[in-house]
Amino acid sequence: MEFLEFLVDRSDDMLELGLQHAALVGAAVVIATILGVALGVATYRTERPRQIVLAISGTFLTIPSFALFILLLGPLGLGWPPVLLALVLYGLLPVVRNTITGLREVDPAIIESAKGMGLSRRQRLMQIELPLAWPVVITGVRVTTLVLLGIAAIGAIVNGPGYGELIFTGLARVGTPVAVNLVLAGTLGVIVLAILFDLLFHAVRRLTTSRGIR
Amino acid sequence: MTQTHDTRTDADVMIRLEDLTKRFPGAQRNAVDGLTMDIRRGEIVVLVGPSGCGKTTTMKMINRIIEPTSGRIIIDGEDVTRSDPDQLRRRIGYVIQQIGLFPHVTIGENVATVPRLLGWDAERIRARVDDLLRTVNMDPAEFRDRYPKQLSGGQQQRVGVARALGGDPQVMLMDEPFGAIDPITRERLQNEFLRLQSQVRKTIVFVTHDIDEAIKMGDRIAILQEGSRIAQYDTPEKILTAPANDFVRDFIGGGASLKRLSLTRVRDIELSPWPTVGAGDSVDQARAALLSSQRSAVLVLDGAGRPARWVGLDDLRHEPVRSLDEIGAVPQAVVEPQATLSDALNELIAARHAVTVVVDESGRYRGVVDIDQINQAIRSMRRSAVDEARTDITDAGARP
Repeated sequence: MEFLEFLVDRSDDMLELGLQHAALVGAAVVIATILGVALGVATYRTERPRQIVLAISGTFLTIPSFALFILLLGPLGLGWPPVLLALVLYGLLPVVRNTITGLREVDPAIIESAKGMGLSRRQRLMQIELPLAWPVVITGVRVTTLVLLGIAAIGAIVNGPGYGELIFTGLARVGTPVAVNLVLAGTLGVIVLAILFDLLFHAVRRLTTSRGIR
Repeated sequence: MTQTHDTRTDADVMIRLEDLTKRFPGAQRNAVDGLTMDIRRGEIVVLVGPSGCGKTTTMKMINRIIEPTSGRIIIDGEDVTRSDPDQLRRRIGYVIQQIGLFPHVTIGENVATVPRLLGWDAERIRARVDDLLRTVNMDPAEFRDRYPKQLSGGQQQRVGVARALGGDPQVMLMDEPFGAIDPITRERLQNEFLRLQSQVRKTIVFVTHDIDEAIKMGDRIAILQEGSRIAQYDTPEKILTAPANDFVRDFIGGGASLKRLSLTRVRDIELSPWPTVGAGDSVDQARAALLSSQRSAVLVLDGAGRPARWVGLDDLRHEPVRSLDEIGAVPQAVVEPQATLSDALNELIAARHAVTVVVDESGRYRGVVDIDQINQAIRSMRRSAVDEARTDITDAGARP
């Protein structure tokens, strides 16, 4: 009950932090998607570059987020820039991996018939391969979004925007009655955003996937 | 090879392969080894041979899905060995066994692929798509907006053929196009395709490993050995009656005379009559028709003249006899005139009254084929084969 009162009390804060959080993650997802799809498209047909790209984007995910934010603090300063860059790096792997998987799973017979009809390399990619790989790609984007929503909260350590602020304020006041409420509110905010993004992706996936492959 | 270049003018030749060779990286031998071959305008040439003989590689070099290592490809007098492959492929229809329809776009959009690449305007494309779907016996209104997964295998293959015809190419390449389809549908598609070809007269290179299909589909057959070396390149008749060597003989296998049944079409022989009655006729009329013939059943035709029922004496005996189109059995063994005698024989063996009913393209009854006619056809083919062999011997003797 006490927690609910707290939420009502802070509802303006909750909304504003939520918009910040969503905007930050949204921007990172868009950039990671563009980069990730481009990297996937560039490397899916060649063994070595493909392995290198996957290895590097996989390595990013193993760096503890706490450490990466602090490392980026030097070159990029406080605020959203280090957080955005870190999120983009963390978000690459699911997009790249799913782009490569999706493109490689396209039935070779379909590609051969496209080639046999005179579609150029570029036309095959844009009109056949990417649309067919799309459901797999967008699943990767969805995974990236969920991962980044959580990591973004840690970004508050370098004064990044979003619900992390509540959590870190709570951390600073451990032992006081308000601490638990702050951490709970921040966590709840992230969970609600995750659910909203998930619903959004369901809708986008349905709207952007051809009926023929649904 | 039994043909020489100088007997024909170049205008007859649609595709000329000159010393065409393909060696895959790391391979010990050439997959295609110095193949030279002319393919005439408007003919179906079947490349047939055991697996690994290089027939598919040969075909795929014509539209340069596989780039030749050396040699030249000349289409309609133009050397295309080094031209832009995408432009080249838009002029060549391509049908593969797996069909490869684009699953994410509709049937109409699939068929429109090449016209779109060629930059036709929307109105012309729409008309062309409907036209092509009708050509392959599919109702445009029903199928245009469906997706490939909603179609059966046979329907998908029809769409594959329509799509390959999209840009009205002069040349079509078909790689085992009916290979993955059940035998009954395959036979129907083969017949439909032959009927279509008699209208469109494309130059077609057709790959199969099935000699029976080759005999049925080919105006000319090239039997290929390893490295795409030509064991014999000739008409089906010649290949069956005068195999050039042991390889060809082995490849044709047993039953050459049975295979020759695939050379004759039902439309080429005189059909037998059969007692028929209309669906509206009385039972007494049917009984009279049956008794006045020597046959075991009468064929009941519906209002449009299409076979509706077989009605035998047993069926007429049941009391009370209902109307004629409710008793007896539905005719199963029905073929169209472009079916081969081999198809007719196949149907006949399984048919209840030991005859195959022949209908025209709109399904109207034309006559029947029975075992006597097939026997007769075999006898006359054997006679002409003997005659031909005799002439060949005389010719050889007369030559200096």
